[in-house]
Amino acid sequence: MSDAANGMGEPVPGSLRAGKRRVFIAGARRRVAVHIIERLLAEPDVEAILAVDRGACPPALLGCDPERFVFASADLSRRRQVDNLFLLDRFRSTPFDTVLHMAFAGSPHGYNFKSHEFNVNTAQHLLQAALRHGVGKYIFLSSDAVYRLGPRGDYKVREDSELNLDPTGHPILRDTLDAEFICRAKMDEPGSEIMVLRPSGVFGGGVISGINLLFESNPPMLPVGFDPMVNPTTKERLARDLILAIFLHGKGVYNVAGQTVGPLSKFLEERGIKPMRVPGPALKLFNRAQRALGMTRYHAGFHPSRLYYSLVLDDDKFERVFRSSAHKVRALARTSDGPMP
Amino acid sequence: MLRPNMKFVRALLPDREWDRVEAYSIRDVGMGTDAFGTRPQVLGVAYALGYWLHRYYFRVVSQGHENLPASGPGVVVGNHSGVLPFDAILMSADVFRNTEPPRLVRYMVDYFVYKVPFLGTFFRSVGQISGTRANFDGLIREGHLVGIFPEGAAALGKLAVDKYDLLPFSHGHVELAARHGAPVIPFGLVGAEEQQTMVADIKPLARAFRMPYFPVTTTFPWLGPLGLLPRPVRYYIRYGEPLTIDPDVLKSIEVREREVARVREAVAEQIRLGHQHRKDSEEGRV
Repeated sequence: MSDAANGMGEPVPGSLRAGKRRVFIAGARRRVAVHIIERLLAEPDVEAILAVDRGACPPALLGCDPERFVFASADLSRRRQVDNLFLLDRFRSTPFDTVLHMAFAGSPHGYNFKSHEFNVNTAQHLLQAALRHGVGKYIFLSSDAVYRLGPRGDYKVREDSELNLDPTGHPILRDTLDAEFICRAKMDEPGSEIMVLRPSGVFGGGVISGINLLFESNPPMLPVGFDPMVNPTTKERLARDLILAIFLHGKGVYNVAGQTVGPLSKFLEERGIKPMRVPGPALKLFNRAQRALGMTRYHAGFHPSRLYYSLVLDDDKFERVFRSSAHKVRALARTSDGPMP
Repeated sequence: MLRPNMKFVRALLPDREWDRVEAYSIRDVGMGTDAFGTRPQVLGVAYALGYWLHRYYFRVVSQGHENLPASGPGVVVGNHSGVLPFDAILMSADVFRNTEPPRLVRYMVDYFVYKVPFLGTFFRSVGQISGTRANFDGLIREGHLVGIFPEGAAALGKLAVDKYDLLPFSHGHVELAARHGAPVIPFGLVGAEEQQTMVADIKPLARAFRMPYFPVTTTFPWLGPLGLLPRPVRYYIRYGEPLTIDPDVLKSIEVREREVARVREAVAEQIRLGHQHRKDSEEGRV
C-alpha cells in the first residue's frame, strides 16, 4: 500500500492511496449514497464516514457502527455550516481525506431559486472547505445531462465532447455545469485531486434518475419513430466506480457508464416493460397528464432530447485508469462481484 | 422498435444472398447491435431491397472489386447524383454482393436524417451514422469501410446540363484517411445522372424546407411523389486502385489540396472508364 509517484512527484493515476480513508459524504440521503456507505462500512480500510444531508438519517443507516459512522443534518449551502462540519471534534485531530459531493437538488419538480442557490453554493463552499482543510481527494458526482444532444451526435461521447451550454436549457443543467466548472477551475490545485464523474443513467430501486423514473412509469411514454442508443449503469456498478475513485489516485473528468450498449427499447423489452408511443410534439403534454395522474415521476421537459437522440458514454478513460486497477482495492477484490473485467 | 418479419425477408432473397446476410457478423455490445446501432435483422431487410434494386431494377454492372480491401479499414470515395440517393444504396449493395466475406459500406450521413422519425432509426439500424469526425474515427478504428461523397448532398441536385461534372471536393476525407493511414478507394458511378432529369432547383423553396435543393424534374412535381421514382437506367460502377494519402496533408494545406485533386482525378477517371464501358455495352462490344 504505497503511493507510486511519477517524475513530477505527483501520484500515478490508478495507484492506491496510502492509509485508511476518512470520508465526508454530502447528499447521504440519495439511494446511491446509502448503498456506497453500506459498502464502505464493510471495508476495514475505511476508518470513518461523516454523512451529511438535509433531514433525518436514512433508515437503512440507523444501525451503523457509531464508532465509524456519523450522520449530520446540515444545510451545505451555508458556508458556516460547511466549515463547522470540517471542525467537528471527532474529525479535528484526524481530518477527512476524501469528500464525495453528491448533494444536488436534481429534481425538476418544485425547482426554484433556492434549489439553484443550494446547488451552486454547496459546490462552492464544499470545495473551498475541502481545499482549506487539506482534503486529498474531492469527487463531484455530476451527470451525463451536461452533454449536448442532437442529430449530430457521436456514437460514443467522450469527456471532451461538446457540452450543453444552451441558455434555454433547464436550470438544473446549468447548475450542474456551474458546479462542474467550479471544480474544473481548481483541478490544478496541488495537494488535492479533484474529480468530476459523469455517470450515465442509473438503474436501481428507488433511484431518482431520469432513466429509472422513466422505467418506473406506468407505462413509459416514448416518441414515435425514435429509439436512442444508451448505456445505463446500475446503482451497484456506480457504487463500485465511486469506491474506486475514493481509493485510487487520479483527477480530472471521467465518464462512468454501464457495460451494455443498446437501443432504449431493448432495455425496456428486457425488463418486460411495454412502452406507449406518442407523437413527438405531444410527448410533453402526455407526460404532464401522466404526472398529474401519478403514473410517472419522469419529467420529459427536463432533458427533452433524451428520448430522441443517442447518448452512449465512452468510459474507456475510467476503465483504463481505475477499473483496470480494481484489484488493488481490497474492498472490491474481496466482494463476490470481484475486480471488473 | 423495427421488428422485421424475417420469414418474409428470407423469401425475398435467393439462398446464396441470404447466406451472405447470415455471414455478415457484427460485434455485439450487449443488446444485439454493434456500437453504432447496426441490427442484423434490419440490415437483412435493407439488403433484400438493395438486392432487388441492384439485380432487377437498375441491373448494375460493376468492375474492380479486387480493389476493395477484403478486411481492415478503407475510405470509399465517389461521385453523387440522381436527385434521390439511389447511388449510395446501389453502391453499398454492390459492395455487399461482391466482397468475400461481405462488407458493409457505412456512409457519413447528413444530420437532418436523424431528426426524421423512423428514418433516422432505420439508417442507424443499417449501420449508417451521422457524419462527425468521432464517428469516422470509430468506424475506421473498428476496421469498417466508410463511404464518403465529397461533393456533398448538393451534388444530388445537379442540373441535367451539368451532368457528370464533378463539384469541388471537400477536404475532410483525405485528412481523415491520412490520420488513420487508411487507403482511399475511388469509384465512379455512371447511370445515376440519367435516372432523373433535373431541370431547375428552386432555391427559395429549398431554403424554406431546409433542404440542400428543391428539384424540378421532367416528372416532379408534376406527377406528385411518384415523379420522384427513378427511371430504370442501367448503372455502371467502377472501383479504382486504392490511393495512399500523403501523411503531410495533416501539416500542409498545399499538400492537402494536391491530394484532394488526386482523389478527384481518380474518381473522374473511373467515371470516364464507366462511360466507355457503357458505350461498349450499348454497341455490343462487351
